[in-house]
Amino acid sequence: MLLTIKQLQVKYGKQTALQINSPICFEKGERIGVIGSNGAGKTTLVKSILGLTNYEGRIATQLKPEQMAAHMQSNAYVTTMPVKCIMETILNTKIKDNKELQGLIEFFEFEQCLSKRYKALSGGQKQKFTIIMIMMQKAELTFYDEVTSGLDFETRQKLMEKLVEWYQDKDDSLIIVSHYYEELEQLADKILLLDQGKVVAYGKTEELFKTYCGDAIFILENTHTNKNLTDGFRTLQSPNHLIALSCRDKEEEKRLLSLLVDNNVNFKRSNSDIEIMSINARGQFYANARNINSGLQPA
Amino acid sequence: MNKKKCNINMVLYELRNINGNLMPHFFGIVFPNMMTMIFSRTIGSQVPAAVRQNAMVSIMLSMMLVIPMSIMFIGYGALYSQEVENEVPLRMHLFGFHERSLLTAKIIAHLIFMTIAFVIYAIFQMFTMDIPKPVFSSVICLMISLYLIGVILLVIAHSIANIFRKFGITFGITMFVYFVLMMLTGMMGISTEQLPKVLQKIALTLPMTYISNDFADFWQGGTYNFMPFIQSFIFLGAVSGIMMMYAQYRDRRVIK
Repeated sequence: MLLTIKQLQVKYGKQTALQINSPICFEKGERIGVIGSNGAGKTTLVKSILGLTNYEGRIATQLKPEQMAAHMQSNAYVTTMPVKCIMETILNTKIKDNKELQGLIEFFEFEQCLSKRYKALSGGQKQKFTIIMIMMQKAELTFYDEVTSGLDFETRQKLMEKLVEWYQDKDDSLIIVSHYYEELEQLADKILLLDQGKVVAYGKTEELFKTYCGDAIFILENTHTNKNLTDGFRTLQSPNHLIALSCRDKEEEKRLLSLLVDNNVNFKRSNSDIEIMSINARGQFYANARNINSGLQPA
Repeated sequence: MNKKKCNINMVLYELRNINGNLMPHFFGIVFPNMMTMIFSRTIGSQVPAAVRQNAMVSIMLSMMLVIPMSIMFIGYGALYSQEVENEVPLRMHLFGFHERSLLTAKIIAHLIFMTIAFVIYAIFQMFTMDIPKPVFSSVICLMISLYLIGVILLVIAHSIANIFRKFGITFGITMFVYFVLMMLTGMMGISTEQLPKVLQKIALTLPMTYISNDFADFWQGGTYNFMPFIQSFIFLGAVSGIMMMYAQYRDRRVIK
């Protein structure tokens, strides 16, 4: 067990930013994706685990703060010297003598940036700079808090590709906070869904998907024709411009598939779509809360 | 991964950091040399020849005090508060650096820079002012005092920056305190005896007052009662210690 969160409550003034009632355990080697909209409590959770904010409750862990590495949303460095000097100081090494560091710099294509000052780096280069040093920390637990926020689509894609590639054969424990569902699909094997400071869902991605979406889902454009055509199939909550259809088993999936193909409808099939899963988990969470408030049994 | 301790790379990093900022260069090197030249020209021509050398020593000592106050207090406060405002120290803590290691590296680097400033000042004074040769013990006593004052002032500036976390507020406070200290300790042309009684009492709690007013008397030897001077160091040291402990308590990282 890496850490367990028990009865955690974080308040900023009178407002509760995060409240975790049921215990949450993070095991060694797990990759946990933390998702939620703005103000959900994602960064507050990261700061609590890192000991950077006051909280009530308990975070049971053997880890000391210095055994955790963190890429925060904003990472600042002095601008009075080239980033090479900063890197060598933080890592207490010389790049020319450190093969592993050389490898990472090459992997992230950062060689040309070493002589620049931090303020002269682009958004993507700034992220890479911190990522390289975080990877060199070899921490027991690493946090990536919105590592691609503020980057353009192409830079984001490339950076994620690099991260996925780097962690592919490793057993590092990661906590990845992101607004981008596709990033978590690539990196995380467990999902913690937060909303307005509360835990909506936590578990293995495939288990959560099964619970809230079924075996597989089909996503198609939200048109009258498509609606009429798929009438009778179970629909899930989805963004307004889409229809998400749930299949509970292979039989149902085959029926739907042949219907869509026969009618020449464009669609996307998934058995791991985190976006649709989170929308439905959130929907069910609030429906249950409403039922409890009105004295009914939760769904 | 263990906590990172202060090492040579960190000291070099801090030296580069100081070098990349113009404030310590101007306030710590240019300003005291310029002020000594101006004061020595204006005051030197007004005092009788018999006490001129003593007056020059007094001016030199007062202006020498400006060096630790400028480099370790204003210069450091300005530099570090910008780092705090941008959360650079937090980033370093997240990389495993302990606050004590960061502060130690900063103190060592600033002491090195201050030594360079003293050497430049001494060379400049040798060529431009008629200063009598001091006895060795007076020089040692002066240097130890200046380095101690520098460390205490740096710790105070560090704590102010950590408490207020904004460059503007920290710079305002350190600038205000700097001028109050200069005024109280006789560096602004008003001697401590000319101040109101209450201010005189405050001035006597500051080691700078003794250096500025008394050290010229034993520059070439003699006896001096060091007890009030040592007490003033203990007082200022305690103030800086309390401020640092408070700032560290506020910023502590606790996982419970």
